[in-house]
Amino acid sequence: MPKCLVCYKWTLDEQDIKIRPEDLSLDSSRAKGKISDFDRNAIEEAALLVEKNGGAVDALTYGTATVKQSLKDCLSRGPEKVYWISDASAENADANVTANVLAAAIRKLGQYDLILCGEGSSDQFNQQTTSRIAALLGLPCVTFASKLSVEGDTVKATRKLEDCQEDVVVKGSVVISVLSEINKPRIPSMKQVLGASKKPNEEIKIADLGLKPEDLQPKAVRKSVKGFVMQRKNVIYKETNAADNVAKLKVSLASEGLI
Amino acid sequence: MNFELTEEQQLIGQSARDFGKEYLEPIAVELDQKGEFPKKVVQALAKHDFLGLLLPDDVGGAAAGFVSYVEVIEDLSRYSAAVASIVNNHTIAAYSIQEWGTADQKKQYLPAMAKGELLGGFAIFEHGPTPGVGADALVATKQDVGYVLNGKKAFVRNAGEAGVYVVFATTDPALGAKALTAFLVKADAIGVKVGEKLETMGLKGCPVADITFENVVLPQAALLGAVNGGAAISAKALAVASVAEAAQTVGIGQAAVEHAAAYAKQRVQFGKPVATLQAIQTLLAEVATDCHLARLGLRNAALLIEEGKPFEVEAAMIKSFLVRFGSKMLLDTCQVEGGFGYSETMPLPRLFRDIAGTNLLDAPGDFPEKLIAASIA
Amino acid sequence: MPGIFTFSEDSALAKQLLTPALELKKSLDQPITALALSETDAKELATLGADKAVFLQSADKWVDGFAEAIYAQVSKAVGSIVLIGGTLRGKTVAAYVAAKLNAGMTTDAKTLKIDSGKLLATRVLYAGLALCDEEVALPAVATIRARTFLAPAAATTTGTVETVTVSGESRITVGEVTPTGTAGVNINAASKLVSVGRGFRKKEDLKLAEDLAAALKAELACTRGVAEDEHWLPIERYIGISGQTVKPDLYLAVGLSGQVQHMVGCRESKVIVAINNDERAPIFEAADYGIVGDLYEVLPLLTAALGK
Repeated sequence: MPKCLVCYKWTLDEQDIKIRPEDLSLDSSRAKGKISDFDRNAIEEAALLVEKNGGAVDALTYGTATVKQSLKDCLSRGPEKVYWISDASAENADANVTANVLAAAIRKLGQYDLILCGEGSSDQFNQQTTSRIAALLGLPCVTFASKLSVEGDTVKATRKLEDCQEDVVVKGSVVISVLSEINKPRIPSMKQVLGASKKPNEEIKIADLGLKPEDLQPKAVRKSVKGFVMQRKNVIYKETNAADNVAKLKVSLASEGLI
Repeated sequence: MNFELTEEQQLIGQSARDFGKEYLEPIAVELDQKGEFPKKVVQALAKHDFLGLLLPDDVGGAAAGFVSYVEVIEDLSRYSAAVASIVNNHTIAAYSIQEWGTADQKKQYLPAMAKGELLGGFAIFEHGPTPGVGADALVATKQDVGYVLNGKKAFVRNAGEAGVYVVFATTDPALGAKALTAFLVKADAIGVKVGEKLETMGLKGCPVADITFENVVLPQAALLGAVNGGAAISAKALAVASVAEAAQTVGIGQAAVEHAAAYAKQRVQFGKPVATLQAIQTLLAEVATDCHLARLGLRNAALLIEEGKPFEVEAAMIKSFLVRFGSKMLLDTCQVEGGFGYSETMPLPRLFRDIAGTNLLDAPGDFPEKLIAASIA
Repeated sequence: MPGIFTFSEDSALAKQLLTPALELKKSLDQPITALALSETDAKELATLGADKAVFLQSADKWVDGFAEAIYAQVSKAVGSIVLIGGTLRGKTVAAYVAAKLNAGMTTDAKTLKIDSGKLLATRVLYAGLALCDEEVALPAVATIRARTFLAPAAATTTGTVETVTVSGESRITVGEVTPTGTAGVNINAASKLVSVGRGFRKKEDLKLAEDLAAALKAELACTRGVAEDEHWLPIERYIGISGQTVKPDLYLAVGLSGQVQHMVGCRESKVIVAINNDERAPIFEAADYGIVGDLYEVLPLLTAALGK
């Protein structure tokens, strides 16, 4: 079983984010943190590979000070150890910065043969990190995997693309992103949650990564964020008689030129 | 002081909510309609360690602590208070064995209970005036080697599904409750007859029945705690159970207020969502407030239990509060939802029936206000 | 001389990329180089506005393996903007190119323009909850999804076409490729869609939706749960944040609640209609018309009414 590392992001739960009606700005003051949805699939996949093939999986995350809230959550889901980088640069980091930091950390930690990520983060969904890390580390990259298996030092993956399923085989180190359909993340059992505090976590200081200041400056900058609000007619038919509703809808559809 | 749950407690709560959403939400309505014991769900609960939450890890429990426990019960109750009842009654039986059992008894029962292979029940109530008194009182007659039980226990939850019951019998009918003694009785012991399942108002799916004991022979080793020590045991166990039951009430109330609030935002009358109307706002605000305060009080009592400190007054306060305001939470949310909410296709009627089952006074003679007043006057 | 680069392995999408490229050319006054994986595509792109079309020829046909070759073309010319078709392969390649260029990248841009010497794009955030403006310093990479733009009209001049031989990614062995999608199913091309959620109790009940779709001359689509969890419909019909995005004239949502992650895939539909028995379902807020009712009752009635 290759030495496995899974990268994850601690994001805000978008369900808790409210849109302020006055100016459509976002209010995330009540938003709780969560491990990004697709990263949960990556963590689960790593845990399943270890259950099947032995070995252990480590986790790596880069975020602001809140990243410390993620550690036990992560460790309750299968990884044996979590490495974390907490830095203010994460607040506005774009995919370029994120990949620079993660790649530098992976280089520092040493030989991981199998690096797993989710296909994208649930907040920004840039879908860039996996390819970028691979490019920076000079490793092959397999994205959008719906199935993964390991045989010795060979990794087999099935990619699910728009028009086909593609089987690929890679020998040696590889960076892989997984789709949400690859598995169903576990609900951590009580023992798994409580066992998390017994597992180690280690901070990696960003200053020790040998990065230049410009590596931490985002190249893609968010200028304004506005809540998307649907402006629709909202003509809803609620008569007790279904036939009446249907008749009214038929008239509406005709008026829109749809029938 | 910190009012927030610890990280572990929060993660435990999150797992319980995720479990509720995945396993309980899809079956809650059918469970209420058919009342069939949800075997598969109980197996899933066991798999996630919910049935050994309070037990120490040397018997395979999760040793999560009581605050985590009430958090789980509240979260499960948001989806199905009936299932939470199954867990509660099982856990109180396991708790009793953990607190008062011998090393042998713990070894005999607890590992299986932690794994959910053996379900527990708690048989204290009787049809007579108090346990140990009356024609049907459960009497334990001393024999050469052990006891023989004769009599009847009433309203035993998990009856028929439990593999072991914590049973309270009087060793001396003349002394009645003063001679109450606790025993561990296996469900398959000869003479243990579970009666017909009761059709309860709510919490359907958690079976309730009378159990008749006809010459049930028990070895000495079945004694739980000291002879005639049953009153103290049942008092403490019921006090702990009352805090867990309060968590059920809060969970049901929370589910009700969330549902009513979502409804009020959508339901338009007089050109505006009813959530903008003062009458509706008042109802929702009161329920949300009662729920919030009850949760804080219940966590306080739970923390005292977890720390082994005196907790009976705080537990009584929460019980007293919820007896008065528990069902009101459902009365108020039903007002918010009006005619639409009155239909059995909506959740409030079920929650209404369920919450009433969590506000019942166990021992009217020792009602909570009596204890509270005694603590201050 | 810096330039604007376009690339997509999808011929139709490759043409569509030229439209924003031509707009950016106006602001930047830089030539457009279209990279293609077939000579036919290259020749056609040269007639649609590309100043130069380059056919990247390789013995290895694996699209994802062209990432290094594309980077080489862009960096050789000191490219300023790289527009890549936002297919899954395209995004994989684009991020690789961005990393090698040490450049910023905006994923699935809906609009693009040059502002103060930077690329200004709009895109979706938080699973559809919000829209944001993203400013990327040059050189910048952007992916653009299919049908965000229409292909441009034929240009007045034809660009040059050249062939470059490149090598692919040797470390990955591509084995069996199984095409998916039933023949003739093109959710994106449908002008009307009947979309189903888990308000339907079982797979056989989808017949009600099929009958309605037939009466409307619509195609069938669904939510993630119906496709990924229940497997009642193939994943190609799943509309949502990580599924298809559609813009039909009519989107008729039946028995689905209308969560943000689903609606982001259909909210640009011209008319949205909802049928749901839960008055409080979010779909009604997102609908132009709707019926609160039991789909098992409403659908047959609607199908019959439309048949007349």
